[in-house]
Amino acid sequence: MKEQPVPERLQISPFLVFYLVMSMQIGIGVLGYQRIIAMDAGYDAWISILFAGGCIHVIVWMIYKIGETVGGDIVTAHKYILGNFFGKALCSIFIGYFILYSLTVVRTFVEVIQVWMFPELSTFWFSFGFMILCVYIIFGGFRTVVGTAFFGLVLPAYLLLTFGWAIKFSNFYNLLPIWDHSIKELLTASYHMSLTFIGFEIILFFYPFIKEPKKSQKWAHLAVLTTTLIYTILAIITFAYFAEDQLSKQIWASLTMWKIVEMPFVERFEYIGIANWNLIILPNVCISIWIASRLIKRVFNIRQKVGVFFVVGGVLSVIHFLDSRERINTLNDYVGKMGFTFTFIYIPLLFAAVMFVKKLKKGKKK
Amino acid sequence: MPGLLLPSIPLFLLPSIHKFSKTGNNKRNAENDGDLPMRQWLKNRRIKEDIQHKEWEKSLIKSKDFKKIFYYNKKTNVRFGLTFMATLIDENIIQDGILPNLLEEEFREIEDIKQLVPVADVQICDDPSLIEQKLLNGYVMLTIETELKHFGFIAAQKEIVRGLSQPEVEFSVIGPKEAFVESMGQNLNLIRKRLPVKELIIEEFTLGSLSKTSVAMLYMEDITNEDNVNTVRQRLTNVKFDAITDSSYIVQLISDNSNSPFPQLLDTERPDRVAGILAEGKVAIVVDGSPHVLITPTTLVEFFSSFEDYFLNWILSSFFRLIRLFAVAFSILITPIYVATLSYHYELIPKDLLSTLITSRREIPLPPILEALFLELTIELLREAGARLPTKVGQTIGIVGGIVIGTASVEAGLTSNVLLIIVALAALASFTTPVYRMGNTIRLLRFPFLFFAELWGLLGIVFCFCLLLTHLIRLTSLGRPFLEPLYPPRVMDMKDALIRLPFEKQSKRPIFLRTKNPTRFSKKKAKEKKDIDE
Repeated sequence: MKEQPVPERLQISPFLVFYLVMSMQIGIGVLGYQRIIAMDAGYDAWISILFAGGCIHVIVWMIYKIGETVGGDIVTAHKYILGNFFGKALCSIFIGYFILYSLTVVRTFVEVIQVWMFPELSTFWFSFGFMILCVYIIFGGFRTVVGTAFFGLVLPAYLLLTFGWAIKFSNFYNLLPIWDHSIKELLTASYHMSLTFIGFEIILFFYPFIKEPKKSQKWAHLAVLTTTLIYTILAIITFAYFAEDQLSKQIWASLTMWKIVEMPFVERFEYIGIANWNLIILPNVCISIWIASRLIKRVFNIRQKVGVFFVVGGVLSVIHFLDSRERINTLNDYVGKMGFTFTFIYIPLLFAAVMFVKKLKKGKKK
Repeated sequence: MPGLLLPSIPLFLLPSIHKFSKTGNNKRNAENDGDLPMRQWLKNRRIKEDIQHKEWEKSLIKSKDFKKIFYYNKKTNVRFGLTFMATLIDENIIQDGILPNLLEEEFREIEDIKQLVPVADVQICDDPSLIEQKLLNGYVMLTIETELKHFGFIAAQKEIVRGLSQPEVEFSVIGPKEAFVESMGQNLNLIRKRLPVKELIIEEFTLGSLSKTSVAMLYMEDITNEDNVNTVRQRLTNVKFDAITDSSYIVQLISDNSNSPFPQLLDTERPDRVAGILAEGKVAIVVDGSPHVLITPTTLVEFFSSFEDYFLNWILSSFFRLIRLFAVAFSILITPIYVATLSYHYELIPKDLLSTLITSRREIPLPPILEALFLELTIELLREAGARLPTKVGQTIGIVGGIVIGTASVEAGLTSNVLLIIVALAALASFTTPVYRMGNTIRLLRFPFLFFAELWGLLGIVFCFCLLLTHLIRLTSLGRPFLEPLYPPRVMDMKDALIRLPFEKQSKRPIFLRTKNPTRFSKKKAKEKKDIDE
């Protein structure tokens, strides 16, 4: 069965990959990653961020190599290696992964709102509204999803500046001495950091939707680089702002830093920040639902519209039962581990397999 | 000759005579004297044929203004008839231009009218199916007894044209002061005068099964993208509606998403704007009977650009555009933000500012949302009433509403004066949009935002903003993205979007139009730089 190429009017310009990757990477994790990495590597953790960012470039390179070789997305890659049936069967795992991912993001965001803004907010009804919005976006097609990613990154970009207020009260000597942690501690921190970095793997799923995929590679790398820099700078500011013991008690360190922001007409900036975060979270959820429904279409040959409703229904039916901090934490850990396995272990394996099969096929031809 | 009697009678008496000629009684008696029996028989038969109404005549004859009169030529004694709708034609043309020559000169066959009638639009045809349409378009039909198969059509439309006036909706202090009127001919003249090149193509369509409105599509050959032209052509020919009385009908009938509050075709009453956008490579649609010309494909930012922007220096116009953008954002968001902060997040406001707010709200019994809704509705009522009333009364209502109701409601303790200021400013800001239709949309948008602000506070406002954003991303105008150049991001098109760069930088036509010839002028020549003192 030959796959139909995606028509050009549905494809996106290569540079939009930058926004897609970045907006998928930056999500709920930014609000509180500082504490987690500082637990292992202390205030040397910014080195771990840079290291994790460097590793990701390698993975991105692999992803593009896979896409180039098989000329399609992850389903095509699996078919290339395992054949139609087994390939599709293996891919169906990712449907579950992306449903869980969107569930985690939405639930964690609702938790942030409940803790910081509205303790009484109904998890179900807010998620319900959020999901309606997502369905509306996804029904507009991939271009609309990318549009959300674009605005979800560009419009809230001003929030970065607001962290500048913290600099006034920072003490950069906190960071010294540099490198007083072992390599092992730094690597553990890198592992924890990778969970915040996850999101770039989506390239493997929308690869056929890029107009000239080769040209987009530099944009993907640039996106990863920018995210790495943002995370590093934010981490350094956080480390300088909080004392190490203080930070260990801040679950959402970024939000706490907003409390210091003071303007003539606005205090308690975290309210505005959290409200704005809605726009940042939106592409995260939309892209993962889009991918899940796209996979359903590719694997089971069901219309994508039906797939979207299936995914949304799945998320909504489960979300109500995630009602305690422990459960949400478990879910986060679980999804993080899945994401880590997928991006840092499975993708290199897939890459090796694809290269191997490519050589085999070449050999056969000869 | 009895026939001679007719032309000498002034035309205002014609209805009565025309009755005679229809029944023919009077004439038959008159003609009986001194005629040969054979000729008389022929005449009788002829008259009978005249009485036997043809298919097209059956319904037309029921109308009072349907006229059918017969005359005899002086020299050749040929009997000819003029048929027309008296309300549609200019009687002076018949009296001065058609009848004198047809009666006095040698007139034998239909072909002769090309020599005899000094009217520009004279047609001869033999297709009876055209008769009805031509008559109703203001033509006079000429029939002649010897040639029953041929008809002559002489244009004699009565043109009631409003004189050119100043643009009222899109007034600008500097720049041309001409505005479109209701007559399509006049409007096309205004446009063609500004673009006197052969590349300007005017295609005409007749739409509406009852109104038979002429609709013209204008574009520049070799510039405008053919897909756009084809799409407009196809959409126009697919229009199924009975009476199209204004271009707004066309807007709603051919727009991509008819369920959107956003207008997807720009309408303008300025001929200079139409000429400007035609040169850019867009398509214009002129509808007969409408002083508003439609422009397509369009983008959201175009609705916030006034044509006056091009008359001003680029720095000034860029500044004004940014002001307008701010005004729109302010107008939509300020009342919802008031409701959200005062209902949920009063911690957000610094102490000093909060005390001002609290003092003004101290005696208000209503929650912020009801307070805001009350004032917003008042403003909407005022605006709606002001729009429906004659100008002078409208002004009075504005004063009464604005000052009396506003002050009274504050004094009565129904609303706080801070909110009164906010709502008034928001209403003022919504008037800054140069396109009236967009102003209406902005009026409406405030209410869903208010609803979500009450529901989820600031979060709800962002949520509603996401909805709006998605709607805008999904929206297309003629298949082209409506949010361009914001999304998909096109840096090249930013030169004339939120800001307007100087004309030297505008050497390329907008990318999203995909014009056949993207260059407006050679950038090289414009860029030739001169050294100091050269």
